[in-house]
Amino acid sequence: MAALLLRHIGRHCLRAHLSSQLCIRNAAPLGTTAKEEMARFWNKNTSSNRPVSPHLTIYRWSLPMAMSVCHRGSGIAMSGGVSLFGLSALLLPGNFESYLMLVKSLCLGPALIHAAKFVLVFPLMYHSLNGVRHLMWDLGKGLSISQVQLSGVTVLVLAVLSSAGLAAI
Amino acid sequence: MAVLLKLGVLCSGQGARALSLRSRAVRPAFVSAFLQDQPTPGWRGTQHIHLSPSHQSGSKAASLHWTSERVVSVLLLGLIPAGYLNPCSVVDYSLAAALTLHSHWGIGQVVTDYVHGDALQKATKAGLLAVSALTFAGLCYFNYHDVGICRAVAMLWKL
Ligand code: HEM
Ligand code: HEM
Repeated sequence: MAALLLRHIGRHCLRAHLSSQLCIRNAAPLGTTAKEEMARFWNKNTSSNRPVSPHLTIYRWSLPMAMSVCHRGSGIAMSGGVSLFGLSALLLPGNFESYLMLVKSLCLGPALIHAAKFVLVFPLMYHSLNGVRHLMWDLGKGLSISQVQLSGVTVLVLAVLSSAGLAAI
Repeated sequence: MAVLLKLGVLCSGQGARALSLRSRAVRPAFVSAFLQDQPTPGWRGTQHIHLSPSHQSGSKAASLHWTSERVVSVLLLGLIPAGYLNPCSVVDYSLAAALTLHSHWGIGQVVTDYVHGDALQKATKAGLLAVSALTFAGLCYFNYHDVGICRAVAMLWKL
């Protein structure tokens, strides 16, 4: 979604505003590397001192947009979880089994256990399936708006179904 | 379970293709936004410039990093069903590595997007490196001294 937006904006705005300059700059293609282009882009961007984009409140929400945000959100949350797990393995006394016993001794009802399992797997299922969607985009496939919409709904449905299935085990 | 299996199949096909990404003119969106290699009607300025990575000496590092990120994502995708089907220490350590690397690069991207200012960003990235290193150490410690990632998930799911 972000890539699409950026590409779109890049193609249109940059071309409109910079085409004459770019033309001259790119006239010697063998002398410019993508790295230099990036450096030039960032220099121009920082020196113009504009506020940070995007201005989140001015866009109408859409499914792909919300899913993009959730991909980042789930990725950050799971990374936090993995780091917390790793650090606890280093720092906390007692082994994994002892903590499992502790949870067992709480005698939580099966409903609560299954709900907790769902809460744990859903971000993973969502992020993994949506990650496949991202990888397809990276291969240049499924980039039309209707395909993005369809794959988005597909990912959501599959994520809910697979998470429910795994939580029920 | 069927979904997991399917993911595994998908992944093996994807792996091969992701590895060939570089030979197709796929680049990070960021670069393609202002470097174009497609003919543009009405504007012929850059038409003759071919920008696929293989023609650009000096931009290899960024493109290689981008490709590595995708390769690690595909590996991680394959390791999850592998951990279910064949829980063993090879998968445990591979998971530890792939999880930490994918997270490290992913959070790095988030830091790049949201943390501004040279010094602050450098400090944040240094902190991230420390956390990632400790996370990897912790996961390896868990694999060595405790039950290992795969068995831990299995035990948790038995609750
Ligand atoms: C309300 C509107 C927007 C929302 C909610 C939003 C949300 C996000 C999120 C969550 C990400 C990271 C996840 C991902 O890459 O899929 C992202 C990445 C990004 N967004 Fe947006 N965005 C919005 C509008 C824009 C606009 C208008 C621009 C450009 C002017 C933009 C440029 C970018 C760029 C460059 C990235 C990084 C791309 C990447 O690493 O793949 N975004 N956006
Ligand atoms: C197993 C299947 C997974 C796949 C296929 C996958 C795939 C991806 C892909 C393709 C991206 C890049 C998105 C983009 O282009 O903007 C990404 C971002 C990310 N992933 Fe994953 N991922 C998986 C699992 C995980 C796990 C288990 C974690 C955490 C422990 C995680 C954490 C992240 C983070 C933090 C980001 C950066 C978020 C962003 O830039 O918006 N991922 N993932």
